[in-house]
Amino acid sequence: MRNLTSTVVFSLAIASPVVGHAQEELYLHVTSPGLQRVVVAAPDFERRAGSDPPGSAEFASTLRKDLGEAVAITLLPDDRARLVEVDPTNQGLTRQRWRAVGAQFLLQGSLAGAGSQLVVEVRLFDLASGEVAYSKRLQSGAPLAPTMAHTLANDLVHLFTGRPGPFLSRIAFVSDRSGSKELWIMRWDGADPQQLTTHRSIALGPAWSPDGQWLAFTSFLRGNPQLLLLRPTEGYLKPVAALPGVNTSASFSPDGARIAFAAGADGNTDIYVVPVAGGTPERLTSSRAIDTQPAWAPNGRQIAFTSTAAGAPQVFLMDAEGSNIRRLTLGDTFADEAAWAPDGVRLAYTSFVADRFQIAILDLRTNTRSVVGAAGNNESPCWSPDGTMLAFVSDRSGRKQIYVTDPAGKPRQVTIDGNNLQPAWVAQLQ
Amino acid sequence: MPRTSNRALVNGVVALLVVVAAACSRPKAVVAPEVSPAAESAQPTDGRDRDGTTQVQSEPTISAAGVPEEAVSATDLPADIEALNRAGYLKDAFFETDKSDLREDTRATLAADAAWLKAHPTVKVTIEGHCDERNTAEYNLALGWRRANAAKAYLASLGVAAERISTISYGEEKPFALGRDEGSWSQNRRAHFVVTSK
Repeated sequence: MRNLTSTVVFSLAIASPVVGHAQEELYLHVTSPGLQRVVVAAPDFERRAGSDPPGSAEFASTLRKDLGEAVAITLLPDDRARLVEVDPTNQGLTRQRWRAVGAQFLLQGSLAGAGSQLVVEVRLFDLASGEVAYSKRLQSGAPLAPTMAHTLANDLVHLFTGRPGPFLSRIAFVSDRSGSKELWIMRWDGADPQQLTTHRSIALGPAWSPDGQWLAFTSFLRGNPQLLLLRPTEGYLKPVAALPGVNTSASFSPDGARIAFAAGADGNTDIYVVPVAGGTPERLTSSRAIDTQPAWAPNGRQIAFTSTAAGAPQVFLMDAEGSNIRRLTLGDTFADEAAWAPDGVRLAYTSFVADRFQIAILDLRTNTRSVVGAAGNNESPCWSPDGTMLAFVSDRSGRKQIYVTDPAGKPRQVTIDGNNLQPAWVAQLQ
Repeated sequence: MPRTSNRALVNGVVALLVVVAAACSRPKAVVAPEVSPAAESAQPTDGRDRDGTTQVQSEPTISAAGVPEEAVSATDLPADIEALNRAGYLKDAFFETDKSDLREDTRATLAADAAWLKAHPTVKVTIEGHCDERNTAEYNLALGWRRANAAKAYLASLGVAAERISTISYGEEKPFALGRDEGSWSQNRRAHFVVTSK
């Protein structure tokens, strides 16, 4: 088998350059060098026997929209696709023609009806080798046609990147649109916002369990802040930690068994870890400084966190047992809210550049820092499940709103009502 | 290679892809199967091929969370205690940006508060730590927690029993002034006294 992952990569561009101090490293593009998008030709799927299967129009439009938004994929432009003369009697020749106009892969499919069901069969051809890189037969009721298209688009993103696609993903967040800070959830593009809590208290810091089943968050519902777990598909709520102190900044271990969080008595805040199944929290740090915002690394062996041990808040790294603490951010006057990319190599965080909060990305492999500069103050970065996009909060429109980068890396506003904060992205709700 | 084993390979990979979405934290590159041209022409006509169909299910529905029975509101105080708070015998203590150290004037304010508390030995208070909106929300909760407890520790050093003082941080969540300037921010960097019991 060939590994397609190595042939593709992502580029995160930014909206506008930041005017900053001369010593700041400012980049227009946050890119992983050496990688590029794959060019996929996706001609209209054949409709079997001249029929118009139920849901086929919704399937086709959703698939086209998804593939157009997939960071790892460039759809072959229509003007080039039109140059291809399809020879139904010679598929090999036709594929050569697709390749000649610049396509690397050809997505072919058929749509058929089976009663009220839509049946989709697809094949993805690698035009360089002529091999079928992927094939699938999907079936469901016509109302689920968009879900079928999202499932297929996710499969293709996964095939090319090795990581889950975003098209069934959701973003949990904090919103004050109802009058108090509550947890909400929406699709990654801002569609279908739904209110998860109606506590009329303060809810903060949602964090997903890796399996997409649980949201950990901080609630002032019982007076002192405590850490709660919420099962969004059942509305089920249970306490997980209520130590003296803030009980904030939950971060699940990659195996889902433990939660790192910040708490502590007498004004001090340290990093603790508690088993999700219940048990006594274990203290990981014991500095007199503020230690907060733990972020469990994808490898499970390390935890990034914010500490004021060096004065202003900076991002540090420790082993998951609390040992071997070392400082990660060296070129920032302020660094907080570290968020690991799924690759475990890049760390997004909130920095302070030229008198504004800005998202920065630290590449631990090259030890280089890039500032994703944009208008206003920008904070609370959160990676898409495939690591190709960022969600973050910006006050550029006046109020705090959530933005998601589009395939070109340009931020697009996905919330409107009230202030919307602290996005937490999950590949799929379970 | 017999066709059946090709199909088994395809089906196995399809099954892998189905569970992909849940595997976001366990990144494993599922690589495209290599399928021979023979399998490519296979038509899904028999039962075995239909087993390879992915029946797409609807996404799970989302339910709002309930409210646990023990829910309390920090503002539910008896009327006479609310009146005591409105009278303002206890003055709030103010802080520098991103600091929880006690300024000279902050110490003077807290010393007066300590004297009043010692003269009213049955009164219990909550000290709330507050911050301006700069810095991130969760950092500010930790900073407010420091401020509330710095005020409490100073009162205790002046002879007020620590058991009479509870502390909570609201960070930047409950600002006193809503402007986005130093005039408002300085009002929001405080340890705020709430009498909870006479």
